Amino acid sequence: MNPLVYKLEKLFYNPTAVVLMACSALALYLIFSNYKAVQFIIRSLKRNKLRTILTSLAILVLVLVVTAIWTILSKLDEITEEKSKDLKAMVTEKYGARSQMPYSYARGLADGGARKPSDVHPQDNMAWSFYIGSLEKGKFTRENFMFFFCMDPEKFPTMMDEVDTFSPTDLAILFESIKKMKADKKRIMVGKERLKLLNKRVGDRIKLFCQNYKDIDLEFEVCGTLPEGRYENSAVMNIDYLQDAIDGYARDHKGEKHPQADKALTFMFLKTEDRNSFERLAEQISTSSLFTNPAVKCDTASSGVASFLDAYRDLLWGMRWLLVPAILVTMALVISNAISISVRERRTEMAVLKVLGFSPSRILFLVLGEALFVGVLSGLISSGGLYLLINGLIGGIPFPIGWFGKFEIPLAAWWWGPAIGGGTAFAGSFFPAWSARTVKVSEVFSKIG
Amino acid sequence: MAAEPIVQVRGVHKYFVRGDEQIDVLNDLSLDVPEGEFMALMGPSGSGKTTLLNLIAGLDQPSEGVIVVGDQIISDMNETELARWRTRHVGFVFQFYHLLPVLTAYENVELPLLLLPMSAAERRRQVYTAMELVRLTDRMSHRPGQLSGGQQQRVGIARAIVTDPTLIVADEPTGDLDSKSAEEILNLMTELSTALQKTIIMVTHDPRSAARATRILHLEKGKLVRESAVYSLHH
Amino acid sequence: MMHNLPVRLWLAIPVAVTLLVFLLLVLVGKVPLSYNIRNLTVRWRTTLLTSLAFTLVISLMIVMLAFVNGLYELTQQSAVPGNIVILSDGAFDESMSNLGNASSSSPIYFMTQEQREQLATDDEGNPLVSLEAYIVVAQPIIIDGKPNGRRRFLQLRGLSDPAMTAKVHNLKMHPGGKWYSEAGVQPIERTETGEPTSEQAIQAVVGEGIARELGKDHYHRALQVGDFFEARDRKWIVTGILHSAGSTFDSEVWAKMQIVGPFGKEQWTTCIARVKDKDHALEMAKELTKTVKEVQVQVQREIDYYDKLNTTNFQFLLATAVVTVIIGIGGVFGVMNTMFAAISQRSKDIGVMRILGYARRQILISFFLESLFIALVGGVLGCALGYMANGLTATSIVSGGGGGKSVVLKLVVDVNILTGGILFALFMGAAGGLIPALSAMRLRPLESLR
Repeated sequence: MNPLVYKLEKLFYNPTAVVLMACSALALYLIFSNYKAVQFIIRSLKRNKLRTILTSLAILVLVLVVTAIWTILSKLDEITEEKSKDLKAMVTEKYGARSQMPYSYARGLADGGARKPSDVHPQDNMAWSFYIGSLEKGKFTRENFMFFFCMDPEKFPTMMDEVDTFSPTDLAILFESIKKMKADKKRIMVGKERLKLLNKRVGDRIKLFCQNYKDIDLEFEVCGTLPEGRYENSAVMNIDYLQDAIDGYARDHKGEKHPQADKALTFMFLKTEDRNSFERLAEQISTSSLFTNPAVKCDTASSGVASFLDAYRDLLWGMRWLLVPAILVTMALVISNAISISVRERRTEMAVLKVLGFSPSRILFLVLGEALFVGVLSGLISSGGLYLLINGLIGGIPFPIGWFGKFEIPLAAWWWGPAIGGGTAFAGSFFPAWSARTVKVSEVFSKIG
Repeated sequence: MAAEPIVQVRGVHKYFVRGDEQIDVLNDLSLDVPEGEFMALMGPSGSGKTTLLNLIAGLDQPSEGVIVVGDQIISDMNETELARWRTRHVGFVFQFYHLLPVLTAYENVELPLLLLPMSAAERRRQVYTAMELVRLTDRMSHRPGQLSGGQQQRVGIARAIVTDPTLIVADEPTGDLDSKSAEEILNLMTELSTALQKTIIMVTHDPRSAARATRILHLEKGKLVRESAVYSLHH
Repeated sequence: MMHNLPVRLWLAIPVAVTLLVFLLLVLVGKVPLSYNIRNLTVRWRTTLLTSLAFTLVISLMIVMLAFVNGLYELTQQSAVPGNIVILSDGAFDESMSNLGNASSSSPIYFMTQEQREQLATDDEGNPLVSLEAYIVVAQPIIIDGKPNGRRRFLQLRGLSDPAMTAKVHNLKMHPGGKWYSEAGVQPIERTETGEPTSEQAIQAVVGEGIARELGKDHYHRALQVGDFFEARDRKWIVTGILHSAGSTFDSEVWAKMQIVGPFGKEQWTTCIARVKDKDHALEMAKELTKTVKEVQVQVQREIDYYDKLNTTNFQFLLATAVVTVIIGIGGVFGVMNTMFAAISQRSKDIGVMRILGYARRQILISFFLESLFIALVGGVLGCALGYMANGLTATSIVSGGGGGKSVVLKLVVDVNILTGGILFALFMGAAGGLIPALSAMRLRPLESLR
């Protein structure tokens, strides 16, 4: 099933979608119940099609950029937001920028460092390492490398993010692959995009030359794929396979331990029920004598991400408070310009409407209505179009910082566009609309004839 | 032996095509305009008088026939050649003046001179001369919005004569003026004709305006139907 | 990249072409410029609104480019001509390098006598060589005296001879500071509450940028000599502040290798040496890569090393270009709207000018120049607004594909960026003004007067 079709089917269970549909219904009702006014507005806009089209295109393009930026910022906010329930704790080495813990920590950490009967235990856990390998020895390029999450494959469905967005087909492939990986440690799952780039298929056997563990070159068999989206460029291997290889190094090197033998565990993820459980867990782990050399720290996964993003804080601040506001103001200026010109050209028309009995407020609303019509419609087409195009075609906006994959345009984009377009249209057209409202009939007609 | 006419129109046809229909505006029209003549073109709406004026002024091309102005066969010229020719040889006076609102009276009159190879000092001299002729030297730095209708039309006339053109064409020059201003404009045009020997072709509906001309041509349905000479105290 | 490319040529050509075209247009176009300028002032509201859109686009572009320029300047200024960088083979950058145990010999000792003689020396005759260990530690961020749950990645550099390292990197210390002692630590004597203590603080020399960052935690100002900060559950004391603004060392903390080595790999990561003849540096680098056998090394000129760190910079530059062009489209449609309206309102003027003998191309040029004026006004204002970002500081990461280095950079608005801003504004004005100008050119004089 096409992932987009699957997601559209899920719409009816999404509160945002329900609200959007309700607002759309309300908007349609308002339009049909003020049909004459809407007709007048549309005809006024059609009088100068060129101007209407140019203004709409400007709004369309600018809303596109804002939607893309808000997608990235809102996703980062979501990832770094501290939750109060179903927290995922992340245990890492306390001081090192690169967390490198001995694998022997895994068992104790999986139990949350519990020592007393009253101590809290994690609801679930996952030991995680990274393995980076290239298809050619001594050569490492974008086209020949693979990046593995090393884990117990059975933990993928319960501990990894966004598995709930997998379509039924992809889920079925996932469970089937996990079964195969449990049967043979050499088997791996690879993201569809990565497989395509490496020109490999399910069933292929590959040998990889390791970049991050000295002399740990391994052979694999591709048994399944990971779907488009967050994991499309990654791969999953069995952590036991890596550990066995590191432990086996001594056999081939006259008993000499692998230099990274005590550094093969990168993260330990622990699921906790709530904030209170997390804090107790963190206390247990940081005070346990089992995890002192090296010392470890226990953060929420979201604060871990936030720390990583700290180096980019000025960049993100600039995007949020400089770039986006500047674009919104530019939009307002473009609309303001277009409406000002239109009002100036139609002063006689405004005067005639007044003579016919249209109140100043009615004239104000007619002019505002023109701007809002263009703004809201262009905004909707822009953000909605971006949602369908980006999510449908490439699965999201690629974010090249860190391990972040693609950011899917959220459903909320369907209201962002109309809100941005409508809001800037209102802001930009208010003063010209006020000027239209205050047209003096006597002044206009004294100039004619 | 009589001098060659300044304007010669021979066998001119002009039609427009609207969809499948051909609309004849001028039919096999021929006429001569001697140098220094003040000629008026009259006729009902749709008679082709404005079209004829535009053809003689080089603003349009005949569908058939020949038009000679001075020693130039303007009916053979392309658009670029006509534009160049118009600058030197034709002065146009419009019914609604059509001054550029953001330029001063001086600058409006100077506008055609910018197309000619002249120094700034020479242009200034020409503009001053033209403004003196129309008696508006005290309003040179005013913009059209600051001038009355009559004054604007005088600036229009100054613009028309500043290049010392072969021919002055005027399309309803008093159509937008009150009677007093119209009188002033007609006096000015008569002066240009008599004192400066300028050849003037004027389209008008107004018999009193036409009475200022030395010859009146009547057009109907694209054909010359009547011609009359005018004798008045002005001549 | 602004400095790596032959800048004057890269921008000079479009500038020269633009000026030439402009001059040509003004000469060929006979319609007086005062006509266009006055129309812009008469319709000042419309002109202002259109120009302001340009102002915003250009000022945004300037700020973004200033950020990228700052990144490039940072990496360029960190590199000293004549310096060569020795890393372990296969390392993208210092964070992935491993040259051997801190107590063992450095690669410099594996050089032949002839090679050593090619190294530059200081005033005392010592070869300008620095052994360094680049270590990154996680440090809790403190806000109002309490950890806020987040961490920063603090960059330490373990050194044996900081004075020599400073010479190699052409860095000086601010007056009033001194290098850390032989011990590398000093007793604290009393806690903050005044009680005696036997705790020892690690002595450190810090960059100006990190001094500002760390100072926010406790002092609400930049760190000064004698101030304390905390990392790795230890107290640290500032003995000196580097004059490091504009270099990647601005975000670093320098301390004695024997003290801070255990925080990392306890191994040297980097060896920097200065070659006497800087033009010979590349040859020397290639030679050493081949000849040093005891440790697998890759040797390169420092300028090449920093050049590779510009990978992220290039991604930012690309993103800036894409965002600017897309936002610029909004400005283009805005000016198109304005010009179409202007032409519609002035169709009679166009008709009159055509009748007076002005050629089509002169009408085209006139309205084209008018849109360029609007763009120029907006562009100049945008450059002025964008220039206000010059000198502001920001944090980012520079990376050559490896771990990346957190840096504090200064936004740099230089002549190249301002020129680029004006050129882009003019380009937008041209793109938005051309089609309306073409439509003006095609107006039939007689029809426009009806």
